[in-house]
Amino acid sequence: MTFISSGYNPDKPMEDRITDIGPRHFEEFYPEVIKNNKGKWLYHEILKPGVLVHVSETGDEVYTVRVGGARLMSITHIREICEIADKHCDGHLRFTTRNNIEFMVDSKDKVEPLIQDLESRKFDGGSFKFPVGGTGAGITNIIHTQGWIHCHTPATDASGTVKATLDEVFSDFQNMRLPAHLRISMACCLNMCGAVHCSDIAILGYHRKPPMVDDAYLDKICELPLAIAACPTAALKPTKVELEDGTTVKSIAINRDRCMFCGNCYTMCPSLPLADKEGDGIVLMVGGKVSNRISAPKFSKVVVAFIPNEMPRWPTMTKTIKQIIEAYAADARKYERLGEWAERIGWERFFEKTGLEFTHHLIDDFRDPAYYTWRQTSNFKF
Amino acid sequence: MELEEAKEKIVEALTKKAKSKSKFYFNDLSKILDLKPRAAKKLITRLIETEVLEYWSSGSTTMYGLKGMGKQAAAEHED
Amino acid sequence: MAKHATPLLDQLESGPWPSFVSDMKQEAEARAKNENNVEYQIPQDACEDLLGVLELSFKDGTTHWKHGGIVGVFGYGGGVIGRYCDQPENFPGVAHFHTMRVSQPAGKFYTTKYLKEICDLWERRGSGLTNMHGSTGDIIFLGTTTPQLEEIFYELTHNLNQDLGGSGSNLRTPSDCIGQARCEYACFDTQDLCHNLTNEYQDELHRPAFPYKFKFKFDGCPNCCVASIARSDLSFIGTWKDDIRIDQDAVAGYVSGEFKPNAGAHAGRDWGPFDIQKEVIDLCPTGCMKYEDGKLLINNKECTRCMHCINVMPRALRPGLERGCSMLAGAKAPILDGAQMGSLLVPFIEVNKDNDYQEIKDVIEKIWDWWMEEGKNRERLGELMKRQGFQKLLEVTEIKPVPQHVQEPRSNPYIFWKEDEVEGGWDRDINEFRKHHQR
Repeated sequence: MTFISSGYNPDKPMEDRITDIGPRHFEEFYPEVIKNNKGKWLYHEILKPGVLVHVSETGDEVYTVRVGGARLMSITHIREICEIADKHCDGHLRFTTRNNIEFMVDSKDKVEPLIQDLESRKFDGGSFKFPVGGTGAGITNIIHTQGWIHCHTPATDASGTVKATLDEVFSDFQNMRLPAHLRISMACCLNMCGAVHCSDIAILGYHRKPPMVDDAYLDKICELPLAIAACPTAALKPTKVELEDGTTVKSIAINRDRCMFCGNCYTMCPSLPLADKEGDGIVLMVGGKVSNRISAPKFSKVVVAFIPNEMPRWPTMTKTIKQIIEAYAADARKYERLGEWAERIGWERFFEKTGLEFTHHLIDDFRDPAYYTWRQTSNFKF
Repeated sequence: MELEEAKEKIVEALTKKAKSKSKFYFNDLSKILDLKPRAAKKLITRLIETEVLEYWSSGSTTMYGLKGMGKQAAAEHED
Repeated sequence: MAKHATPLLDQLESGPWPSFVSDMKQEAEARAKNENNVEYQIPQDACEDLLGVLELSFKDGTTHWKHGGIVGVFGYGGGVIGRYCDQPENFPGVAHFHTMRVSQPAGKFYTTKYLKEICDLWERRGSGLTNMHGSTGDIIFLGTTTPQLEEIFYELTHNLNQDLGGSGSNLRTPSDCIGQARCEYACFDTQDLCHNLTNEYQDELHRPAFPYKFKFKFDGCPNCCVASIARSDLSFIGTWKDDIRIDQDAVAGYVSGEFKPNAGAHAGRDWGPFDIQKEVIDLCPTGCMKYEDGKLLINNKECTRCMHCINVMPRALRPGLERGCSMLAGAKAPILDGAQMGSLLVPFIEVNKDNDYQEIKDVIEKIWDWWMEEGKNRERLGELMKRQGFQKLLEVTEIKPVPQHVQEPRSNPYIFWKEDEVEGGWDRDINEFRKHHQR
């Protein structure tokens, strides 16, 4: 391949350099009907799963068709999205916070042809390219992190677990039968670069083995003080190790009982790998929310301490998620979020109704806040 | 403080510690310069632009080091 | 013919949900064919090799990526995440495979013209794979080589009027909800405030000088669709001070069944006829509503603006007109000392375009001055607040303490009085004391 210069001159990096210009201005990208009615919207209605109408005080209407998308997306796919938006939506579209794609049209007669077009498109493997749904009291797209596709500390895959889960709960993406909306989120290690800690259901990758130490190479490629300082629990300290050939090298000793399996040391030093086929797997957390509706925002709570990684479709994990959703759907009241339901019936009932096993791992023992989660009343249910 | 003086202080302090580590937090540098963060930042930015210092990022945190120093470059195949 | 067999990944092509495996294969194929005669600047088979690495991870249950911290574009401390494959001989196409974060437009509206330009650039100089979008909100370019980083940056800034986003100890790319662009609940223009602050603080976004990451997120109302309250160091949540606007005719429309409750969000199940007493009045967390003689009455003084009634009856109820936002500080994910929700710092502040949001910027800059000086390395704002106390945050921001700041007053009396708060100060004369008290 021939190198093609953009115009950049590596010998003079500051020459002609443009910096600090920020993102493009949002107004460049508004569809006409949005531009004309911004701040004037009166109300909205979900006409059917995935299809919304917003009505303005000017009398204008905008119809939105929401479709799910894998957040890992090729340019071929984006170009297809553009082709659809050019054909139906005057060259405009938007993405939602939860990786859905929204196609907007300014009159009702344009909705059905758009939906038909979207639903007719499938990948060669058979899956929908643009499934319509993700609105109201159902399940919308799962936000997630990188996983094995691109991250150096994941304890599981992100795109794979998400695809497997969304296949399992797909009918609820296209239906609105649940008591309230249900948000599932996925982060592939405890660092949670996708903040999943306030989701109705959180899928979290978790390591369970402390890092290995590659003594022979550690001091050659890592700076010990940096690796040691990276540890949030101060579990690392410098040491000297005698190798098999008799030479003594500087290395790192790990207090294994203090390790919380975060991988921060591995980020600083590739001689401390921690990923492991048997050690790594999935934690499930439930009951979080970010909305202030009726009750305050809540954190998700750990209800399944560990599920092994079962590639390629994580059947135990998806079955357990389905089990939680069905118990919630059958028992919760209208408008009640999963966490509100669990609090109303009590967590002892939650485990009974979902059929999940309660183990000692689920009792908090991490630092001060743990105490506040123990039961400090004689009121409980048998 | 003038840029030259800042450069001298930083290079001297970082070279002294180079045997044990090559990457430092922003706060370490502002302490070396004995300046408030915003004043320190102006000088440190200049030292980046004049290629005295370079960034190193863990993705979540950023550190600073003398350009080309340390073992990272070799470990990351960018030497 | 695929370069690597992927029997495990192939099983993720079936099922209804869009398959990322099918999409990657489609991109791999498009690159192999190269119908547009693109002069690829990174290996043509990058997608093939990425599928190969991923298949290997599915087989052995571990990742095959290493972190790289040096790579970036000149002068910026963020926006690029270095990645190296730990099996470069088997997968040379992705041996060096760095991510770039591209600052997304507020509201994530796009024209196809812009997206196609982005695609053309990324086809030529990268893997052709993206994330639309990353967790923080950026457009993510997934996978390119070191020499391409500057070339891509040059093209982005010169041809697309487009900058990179944040990473590391920076202000991270701010993000917002759809706001007034298409939502009747939004109490301020989230897009304008998001864009304004993003541009005001470009230096903080590109040149890291903070103790750790810092996030702004903007929610137009307390429904919090971008989760600002859970994941941003400073969260802006739209709110109002005056009365909820009521259209009694529309209330009657809901009661009679003419309008579907909650905008039709519960249409998938027969919940029985709408019952305003049970579904609205009884669920109001403050009990400030009544339905009497066919009229809905709200004691607005007692309302805490949770949005439930408005969500259930959007045609009948609308937020008031005296609008602004609340600012909450210190939210973060659990690493390290446990998750923190945002704590209310400014109960109400005007969101005023006309003076370029100066009041808001004043609060932000006071917080930064404190955190930059006092924050330990890798300490988020929320952790500093815990370590030095909420009082300290009020002190540095010069905000008067009000009961709204707490869930409840403290239940221990261990107040650390300051000397200047105590009459007469702390210096006392022991000899004077001894005149009245024997040893």
